[in-house]
Amino acid sequence: MSELPNEKIDAVIVGSGAAGSHFAARLAQAGKRVAILEAGPARPKDELVSSMLWARRLKGGGAPVLETGKGTVGNGFNAGRGVGGSTMHHYAVWPRLHENDFRVKSLYGRSRDWPIAYTDLQPYYDRVQEECGISGDHLAETTRPPGSPYPMPPVPVSVQGRVVAQGFAAMGMKVSPIPLAVNSRSYKGRPSCLWDGWCDAGCPIGALANAQTIHLPQAEAAGATIHPDTEVVRVLTSADGKRVTGVEAMTKDGRRVRVMADVVVVAAFTIQSPRLLLASATPQHPEGLANSSGNLGRFVTTHGAAPIFGLHPKVTTPAFGAFGGQLLNQEHYDDKNAHASSGAFGSYQWMIANALKPNGLLGIAPTRPDLRGPALTKFMEQASEHMITMTGVTEDEALAENRITLSPRKDALGVPLASVDYTPAKASMALWDAAIAEGLEVFRAAGTSEAWNAPRAPMHIMGGTVMGTSAADSVTNSYGQTHDLPNLFVGGAGLFPTSGGVNPTFTVHALAARSSEYLVKNWDSVIG
Amino acid sequence: MPKPESAKPTRREILKAGGLGLLTVTLGGQWVHLSPAEAQAAGAPLAVFTPEEAATLAALGERLVPGSWKAGVLPFVDYQLAAAPEDCMLMIQYLGVDPPFTPFYRTGLGALDAAAQARHQSPFAKLEDAPAEELIAAMAEGKLENWAGPPSPFFYFVLRNDACDVMYGTEKGFAALGVHYAAHIRPPSEWGEIS
Repeated sequence: MSELPNEKIDAVIVGSGAAGSHFAARLAQAGKRVAILEAGPARPKDELVSSMLWARRLKGGGAPVLETGKGTVGNGFNAGRGVGGSTMHHYAVWPRLHENDFRVKSLYGRSRDWPIAYTDLQPYYDRVQEECGISGDHLAETTRPPGSPYPMPPVPVSVQGRVVAQGFAAMGMKVSPIPLAVNSRSYKGRPSCLWDGWCDAGCPIGALANAQTIHLPQAEAAGATIHPDTEVVRVLTSADGKRVTGVEAMTKDGRRVRVMADVVVVAAFTIQSPRLLLASATPQHPEGLANSSGNLGRFVTTHGAAPIFGLHPKVTTPAFGAFGGQLLNQEHYDDKNAHASSGAFGSYQWMIANALKPNGLLGIAPTRPDLRGPALTKFMEQASEHMITMTGVTEDEALAENRITLSPRKDALGVPLASVDYTPAKASMALWDAAIAEGLEVFRAAGTSEAWNAPRAPMHIMGGTVMGTSAADSVTNSYGQTHDLPNLFVGGAGLFPTSGGVNPTFTVHALAARSSEYLVKNWDSVIG
Repeated sequence: MPKPESAKPTRREILKAGGLGLLTVTLGGQWVHLSPAEAQAAGAPLAVFTPEEAATLAALGERLVPGSWKAGVLPFVDYQLAAAPEDCMLMIQYLGVDPPFTPFYRTGLGALDAAAQARHQSPFAKLEDAPAEELIAAMAEGKLENWAGPPSPFFYFVLRNDACDVMYGTEKGFAALGVHYAAHIRPPSEWGEIS
């Protein structure tokens, strides 16, 4: 492991996930001296063993996140711990946000607008797509906004995918290949996926685009250093409070260290980034850094997962494929009022035919918690051969009252814990209800003998450090540069003013590509 | 994987307790004895649970997920609770429960045993099939009166998943279902236990 830098460097990055690794690669390649501080441990690829039990070490951990609302954001399940962050257990479903996702307030009078339009992000989606590799079919995916063709052909479709597709067809709806950042053939020296369904355990062969596969190696090759087990506890500011000057961190062996830098990038995932900024308050920034708007921590959203399950007469071998799925449907995506008659608002998509292992929170066994004893045994035997599934990703209305604050409770390092007060909007709940109703209908049309669903669960966490045009009501500008402190940047899905109804990681990368390009071009003015 | 520190009770105490019948449970109407050999094979000595808690957990696991007792639900949960937090493999770690998790299990198992005592004047582990199932059904539906543990449907959900994990989450478990395990990299052990 590299020694922490003693002298001031150009940029210190907090967190080694999608955003942090992307920033690190671009800044280091531009000749900047970069250090990434990661709270969790190293994750050597040979430790990414195929087991739904061992895989749990990739999640949760760290300081607990308290929850006080009627809903939950599920930090333990959604966050990552260790080098690579949550990308190490992400399933690489990489659709783009749509044009209307960027203008929700303007078009519908609710939630918020993004400070950019789809056209601003499109070149970066295209660039990231080429760099990381996506399998898909841009023509068949008729709902996809404009952009380059996917660089790899679609992922294979199994019996599971085919029978669900028949259900959609019977209802007059179309499916397309799902855009997956998983190799359907070898790509840029990385091998093709084996489709053995172990995405949740991390991908040791590099077929799935995650931080360890793509950007961390690039960053290291360009001279950046990665420091696991180094938890940042405070962002430091100058005496006049006008600049950030570095970070203070605790090492695993209990040393309190400082890394000084011209630029600080906070990319510690949606909950921990605002927690760190709130906990770094100073007399000049009494409510936390980058919080003059009072909106730091606010507008937290999470996609309501809408999981549908069924038993089909055909043998579907659900243990194989990709966790993210094989096919996609975004039938109603572009009309956020498609289900307004039931009070619903927002967009959703279906990720179809996800790989299902027997156990695990997203496995077969928990889908029927009512079954136990011999009835469970019988179900497990049947479902291991005949189960089908798909998961709805439903939008969540952005509400100011859904927010992250600091708790009076502190962690072992003396940093106040994050407390999340989250209650999904009624319109978001109604959207989830509408998706579930449609999904069950599709599964009945597919010829299942039984179809059922799981309760609403939080999938992905967004918001809390939202970007905007005005310093009065947002934390950063469209580049993730905080309005209050010009050399403090934020990366990650926390920047999203609204959640959309698609998986966030591709957009996290596109934003990081745009932000890091801006930072390199404007380096001198940013560092003052 | 660090070896969990052996707190109380010691292996000797467990074996002694077994000898006294404290780890004897009835399953499927038959008396089953948790033999020292089985306890050892499954990773004994226990680091966390008392003999009474162990008996309740093993019996509950087996009733929820047949085969899980032999698969080692008791040493599995006990081992994970004693492991360092970053090595914990229990599903509870991402179900919104504050660590440490031992009090969750301890109060839940205690509440179940208390419910069995209140209704049937018997420890849960010694109940016959019908009263045990009746108790589990009431627990799953949150209908047990004077329940003094974590919300009982949630406790049921967690314990059921633990039993499923140890029963179905290993190469043996996959094989029992006829599912090809197809590992990229085989785990060094099923769930971190010391072989």
